[in-house]
Amino acid sequence: MDFEPKIAPAEAGGDGGDSAYELVIIGGGPAGLTAAIYAGRARIATHVCAGTLPGGQPANTADVDNFPGFPDGVDGTELAQRFQGQAKRFGAEVVPETVTEVDFSKHPFAIRCNRNTYQAQAVIVATGAAPRRLGIPGEDKFYGRGVSSCATCDGFFYRDKQVVVVGGGDAAIDESLFLTKFAEKVTVIHRRDELRATKIFRERAFANPKIDFVWDSVAEEILGDQTVTGVRVRNVKNGETSMLKTDGIFIYIGMEPKSDLFVDQLELDDNGYIVSNRRQHTNVPGVFVAGDVQDPHYRQVVTAAGTGAIAAMEAERYLGEYPY
Amino acid sequence: MPLLNEDVKEQVKQQLADLASPVRLVMFTQDFECQYCAETRQLVEEVGELSEQVTVEIYDFVEDKDRADELAVDKIPAVAVIGEEDYGIRFYGIPSGYEFTSLLEAIQTAAAGKPDLSEDTLGALSELSEPVHIQVFVTPTCPYCPQAVVLGHNMAVASPMVRADMVEAQEFPHLANKYQVMGVPRTVINESTHVEGAAPEPMVLDKLREALAAEEE
Repeated sequence: MDFEPKIAPAEAGGDGGDSAYELVIIGGGPAGLTAAIYAGRARIATHVCAGTLPGGQPANTADVDNFPGFPDGVDGTELAQRFQGQAKRFGAEVVPETVTEVDFSKHPFAIRCNRNTYQAQAVIVATGAAPRRLGIPGEDKFYGRGVSSCATCDGFFYRDKQVVVVGGGDAAIDESLFLTKFAEKVTVIHRRDELRATKIFRERAFANPKIDFVWDSVAEEILGDQTVTGVRVRNVKNGETSMLKTDGIFIYIGMEPKSDLFVDQLELDDNGYIVSNRRQHTNVPGVFVAGDVQDPHYRQVVTAAGTGAIAAMEAERYLGEYPY
Repeated sequence: MPLLNEDVKEQVKQQLADLASPVRLVMFTQDFECQYCAETRQLVEEVGELSEQVTVEIYDFVEDKDRADELAVDKIPAVAVIGEEDYGIRFYGIPSGYEFTSLLEAIQTAAAGKPDLSEDTLGALSELSEPVHIQVFVTPTCPYCPQAVVLGHNMAVASPMVRADMVEAQEFPHLANKYQVMGVPRTVINESTHVEGAAPEPMVLDKLREALAAEEE
């Protein structure tokens, strides 16, 4: 058996009541859980609305190779569980529930989940990022029927089949390599003529006989009847289009910040990232931000954890200064 | 070799510490054990050792056919999670990887006998007059899948008209083919209607209504 039994809490219920906390953290990835560790340890009454993928993006990653303290790498889910265990040890409540609405216009702030509403003196937003979509015809229609953004979930369905991966970064190449375990052939479509992925991934991909590349090209339409049969590809240099036969298409063209909830509440930049200063303050006093939702550049587990720690320390300072 | 390491055992013990009522894990395998039948049996046996409220019963799918029919078990490995009554919670294929979470949740839900659903959903399910069969297709490596499985199982507890199966797609490729599963989780309601992904509760409820409406036509 190549899959260990894993424990992750599922979506929580609740009694539909209201509860008040000093600090509510929105997000249960490395940023949110690190903030919870610091806040819990500072004896702040802390509640974490951890969302539906407990542990955040690492839980969806096979191995995290570059988190300090794990010389042999660490399973993403295990790392997430360790964060969570540590946060709970210091007294933070970590509940896997999804926030549906926030009101930062008055104090205390209101955070509404499916069934519970929370009041908070301070908030840390650590909602993270989600895979970006291509936005081309066929993408929505075939989502779950040949279009995927989770190779670990769906790779199995492409045993001895042909798949296309769109993208050229670390995630695209890492997942392409993973897909070669199942697929007969993996074709990477990339809009430039070289990969953005780090050298170690590039070397592995170029050495893998199952991986082919279509350079300088973008996917324009996903084609099929009941399931995906192909993708229309346009060369961005000469404008020529061609058809590529495929059974499935995996999209790894980067992430976008999960900031929809905050559009009318916090200042966002043109790309939807929450604007923060170097001390993780947003434009609303008492609301702090950490992790990928404010980070268009680095998006590492360790940087998310770092900003989470800063946000929690700033929240502690804010709570100490605020007259109640 | 045990499937559950000491860390996991400790967490399971904690999670199953205060079950309100006894739960039976009724597992079906066969003499010549199928792919993952042996591991599934071992997994439920190991879980059974971690809580006094959980008992494990092992049956042979061929020799104990009457028992299988009674529980509407039609393929193996199968695990029926039964509380004070049989709410219709089933696992087909091994509940390991991320689905181990779904198994623990199912045990807790069956022990409580009380679904964890919104008032809207409970209201709609209490009015059901037609049987509903929910099949949630998963792979053990899918972190989004337990959410869909747990929702299905809660709906089964909420209504005697609903039964809900986790179906591990790799072990039942013919079913994955039949229902055109190319991505997981995929929730199939009765035969015709389906939802992709870990859909929120109201969306699954809408699909359930859609499935029933489609059958009336």
